[in-house]
Amino acid sequence: MRSARAGLKGMAAALTAISFLSGAGALAATTPQRTASTNRDALRVCADANNLPQSNSQGEGYENKIAEALAHDLGLKLEYTYFPQRIGFVRNTLRAKEEPSGRFKCDVIMGVPYPYELTATTHPYMHSTYALVYRAQGALASIESPADLLKLPASDRATLRIGLFALTPAADWVLRHGLIGRAVLYPAQSGDPKVTALSTVEADFAAGRIDAAILWGPIAGYLVSRRGREDHLRLAPFGADPTIRFDYAIAMGVRFGENDWKSTLDRWIAEHRSDIDRILTGYHVPLLP
Amino acid sequence: MRNKHRAIFRTVVLAAAAAAAAAAFGDADLDQAMSSPSNWASQAGDYANHRHSTLNQINEGNVDKLQLAWSMSTGVLRGHEGSPLVIGDTLYMHSPFPNNVYAINLKDQTFKWKYEPRQDEAVVPVMCCDTVNRGLAYGDGKIFLQQADTTLVALDAQTGKVVWSVKNGNPKIGETNTNAPHVFKNLVITGISGGEFGVRGRLTAYDLKTGRVVWKAWSTGPDEDMLIDPKKTLTWTNGRMRPVGKDSSLKTWQGDQWKLGGGTTWGWYAYDPKLNLVYYGSGNPGTWNPHQRPGDNKWSMTIFARDLDTGMAKWVFQMTPHDQWDYDGINEMVLADIKMDGKTVPALVHFDRNGFGYTLNRDTGALLVAQKYDPAVNWATKVDMKTGRPQVDPKHAPGVTAEDVDVKGICPAALGSKDEQPSSYDPSTGYLLVPTNHVCMTYEPFKVEYTAGQPYVGATLTMFPGPNENGDMGNFIAWDPAQGKIVWSDPERFSVWSGALTTDGGVTFYGTLEGYLKAVSTKDGHLLWKAKLPSGIIGNVFTYEYGGKQYLGVYSGIGGWAGIGMAAGLTDPTAGLGAVGGYKDLAHFTNLGGTLFVFTLPQA
Repeated sequence: MRSARAGLKGMAAALTAISFLSGAGALAATTPQRTASTNRDALRVCADANNLPQSNSQGEGYENKIAEALAHDLGLKLEYTYFPQRIGFVRNTLRAKEEPSGRFKCDVIMGVPYPYELTATTHPYMHSTYALVYRAQGALASIESPADLLKLPASDRATLRIGLFALTPAADWVLRHGLIGRAVLYPAQSGDPKVTALSTVEADFAAGRIDAAILWGPIAGYLVSRRGREDHLRLAPFGADPTIRFDYAIAMGVRFGENDWKSTLDRWIAEHRSDIDRILTGYHVPLLP
Repeated sequence: MRNKHRAIFRTVVLAAAAAAAAAAFGDADLDQAMSSPSNWASQAGDYANHRHSTLNQINEGNVDKLQLAWSMSTGVLRGHEGSPLVIGDTLYMHSPFPNNVYAINLKDQTFKWKYEPRQDEAVVPVMCCDTVNRGLAYGDGKIFLQQADTTLVALDAQTGKVVWSVKNGNPKIGETNTNAPHVFKNLVITGISGGEFGVRGRLTAYDLKTGRVVWKAWSTGPDEDMLIDPKKTLTWTNGRMRPVGKDSSLKTWQGDQWKLGGGTTWGWYAYDPKLNLVYYGSGNPGTWNPHQRPGDNKWSMTIFARDLDTGMAKWVFQMTPHDQWDYDGINEMVLADIKMDGKTVPALVHFDRNGFGYTLNRDTGALLVAQKYDPAVNWATKVDMKTGRPQVDPKHAPGVTAEDVDVKGICPAALGSKDEQPSSYDPSTGYLLVPTNHVCMTYEPFKVEYTAGQPYVGATLTMFPGPNENGDMGNFIAWDPAQGKIVWSDPERFSVWSGALTTDGGVTFYGTLEGYLKAVSTKDGHLLWKAKLPSGIIGNVFTYEYGGKQYLGVYSGIGGWAGIGMAAGLTDPTAGLGAVGGYKDLAHFTNLGGTLFVFTLPQA
């Protein structure tokens, strides 16, 4: 828990910096906010129906909460189009049209990397990093960072089981440090829309199949907040690394070319940084400047 | 109608009994059906993947008179791969998801029966590249359907009633099926798709009569899982065949990565009844980024030759060790006896996605020929004939050059110099007639991917036409498998994504993405006839004879990787003209569709 708290402290500093920058952005924006609101009756969000902590169909994810705040401020109803956030997500949501109206199924994805190949992006509203989540017992009770784990005696490392996903920097990190043999490997995406990164790791911690896992920060923070006490879980974020990128900025994704809509969202983000951060903090997202 | 059909079946049954009494090479029903060129009893028309018909009523002299005989909608507007089957007086038509099956009376084109499976819609998001299905199989009086949700169904060919049904996989872990099942002897053989979900590939053989699993052979992992005998399974090593040795797969992966190792098996398999071997290829090594999976990643990207009865591997040949380009090795295995240096060689010919046309001795597994079948291929300079390894050009190998630069102009693109669309072997010329892609790609690192809520610096592929003056993205070629040389080449505006057919009429048929069904001279490739169909063609051309007339058919229904997958992968509006422009152009030519078209000559 100590590491997680350190992360939150860092976050507070980050917030100040972001607020300052976005304040400048808000001043620069001169178009009235009405334009986009007037020609749409709803905030139509493309989302995964089961991918906590980001989103679910019960509105329990932080992206749901940000969407609610956004819809409220724009005076729009909130509507969702759901599809698993896996292969074909953008093609089947943001870029897909409804029959027979020919209208796009939804107009914004609340979280995409910044920048992103498949959508245009707003300004980022979140910057987080991958984190090591570990059961603070036995040999691991003494560690406070991923680097500490590497310093453990070889005999301790030889018995570890570290859960990680293909196509994440976790795989690069364990390969570089000769720990791939200790890895419990999960596919980058599950074929079952009910199985998420969170549910996979949560189940394996509960069953004692893993001692640690390497996860994208928001998932790591949420897991520790949910299961930290009973499973003795702690979180240690990865810092900057010369060859492996652990930190990513997240923005909203819109269709290429819809610049007015993007500007509307950018203005809202600029004016509501602190509201967004309050939401993210509530989900224990480890935030970076 | 009905009586006639019964009569045919009686004949078949009698013939079956006779065949069973003799040395049964294949399933008696199927052997009987294949023995008549009137039928199109398997997806390739035979076990050897020749896609050749001895029918010659339609020939070079009259093919330009072809006219529409009849057509039938499948009721589905998605990519239509594979082809129908014809046995006796019945045509069996399949559709993409939801994989309906229709038995059609050839006499009057009425439905004899329909089978419309109920499948969980949840399987659709798990299918990477459109909801295609590559068709049905026939044997033992049954029609076999391999559904998208991995259910393998045996239907009574006369009534459409389910005889048996088994689950071949689990969509909840990303396993789906797009391949056609293949009936070889007393087995129905099927593969698995889902490399994008880290599915571990395998080939599974089911008992034709009961659906019981007879053997299952994995592409990666421990020797016993792969049905590999470390001492007896051979591979091409320093110019000769040597045993693969212990743990030949495990040694080429880190930790447990082989469990998410890919090597899926969604292509066209072949069977040599004399050698009793089944041949097929495995796909790319799972979802791992290349630098996340050091090693050769065996036996992904591999040609397997297995004993049909036991599944034990006689030999293996890995084409693209440590694949960095997504060149799945699943394309069809064509078995042809070809003349090389005055001798007839029992050969296996394979046009790999990696751009090399391979000729191997299908009995021993020895490498005979490996040459580029598109001159643009540049990721490797050549295949070293001693080791069988491609000589990778570091200029075109992601991760070999500095990690922070784009790797530009890699040919072929990830979709390969050819994808699953099968070639045809013409015995009279000895040529293979091959639908190909002429598309290259730029590999850009440092683009962030986002999957199931976790970001990662992956690589993005941008595809564009291969080098030429007109921006053409495909060729239809004739290939000499003994020399490893292109005999002739017809340029095509788009990739040719339709299976070819050759006939004893001296004519070769194929379809194009714009929707043309074309007939060209097998000898020199000159165009003899073409017809524009409503939707692009990604199905395979087939032929049959009924009532003394030869018919020619193909599905019209664009989709698959070429139709939506590629379109989806090529939509970056900031990209220049190139492939984005090229494939976007498809929308000027065609629309979605789902119709079977059948042509014939006018009454003399």
